[in-house]
Amino acid sequence: MATRAELSEFLAGAERRAFKQALFAVRDQDNALDIVQDAMFRLSESYSDRPVGELPLLFTRIVQNAILDFFRRQKVRSTWITLFSALSSPEGEDSDPLESLEAQPGSASAESAQDQVERGQVVGIIEEEVSRLPARQREAFLLRYWEDLDVAETAATMKCSEGSVKTHCSRATQALAKALRARGIEL
Amino acid sequence: MNEAEFAYRIRQALDEGASQVDYTVSLRLEKARNAALDRSSASAAAPVWVPALQLAGAGGRSTERNGSALASWIFRFGMAAPLVALALGIVGIKQWQSDNLVAEVADLDFAVLLDDTPIDTYAHSGFGVYLRTEQASNAM
Repeated sequence: MATRAELSEFLAGAERRAFKQALFAVRDQDNALDIVQDAMFRLSESYSDRPVGELPLLFTRIVQNAILDFFRRQKVRSTWITLFSALSSPEGEDSDPLESLEAQPGSASAESAQDQVERGQVVGIIEEEVSRLPARQREAFLLRYWEDLDVAETAATMKCSEGSVKTHCSRATQALAKALRARGIEL
Repeated sequence: MNEAEFAYRIRQALDEGASQVDYTVSLRLEKARNAALDRSSASAAAPVWVPALQLAGAGGRSTERNGSALASWIFRFGMAAPLVALALGIVGIKQWQSDNLVAEVADLDFAVLLDDTPIDTYAHSGFGVYLRTEQASNAM
């Protein structure tokens, strides 16, 4: 069982990455903070009795679920708005908005690094391009290469097959390299 | 550059970006973390209400299993048991009263049939009422 100090240390180390992941997904700082706070509450209330070693994977899953919950709530809200405003959605009801969600140029996150120094600008551009990836590709890429989950853990967290994880990661890498090259950044 | 190398460099940039979040964001994250930790310690320190039946059945080990599926079922049983006992008690009392009534009527019928009934009983107005009531209920 994780002690309070261990749980605190874990959360302190993971909270910023979780915030960034949520921010990449929802593109709104306040919503991202709410998601991370919600995830922290869920972890401490329901899983604080687990060993420390299990916390990273649990927290990662909780954050991803919290992001999905946010999009579900947003979808329900937009459905009601569509019904009352009599405007039809350009996408079918069955389509998953996370599959094709693209960043909107000029958003707050896209402009956040404009006044930074050169390295900061590069970091900002990379974050911006990561944020522009389709949601499932970004999720797979970040879980796999930022959260250090293996393919099986990533697949379990994303509730998809391991083959899909590999495909998403590969496509994300290619899309990211192409986008960064187009903006004059060679890694 | 292969996928892993590229991803490693992206990861470095992302780590750098995550370490440079705004002060306001850091502050809110810290507050959220402390609130989460308080919830955790509060739930651990809070006295656990144990139903009487669960305590009687599980002895002192109930707190060890708190949170497990078994404890959950025992807890639910502990909640439902008093209600079940109350319902069984009500049904039992009703049955006992019904049996008593039947026994009294049988004793009376038996006494009438054996001619053990005192003669004054037939002259009592209540006995006539009783007979008419019985006849009416039998006719229905």
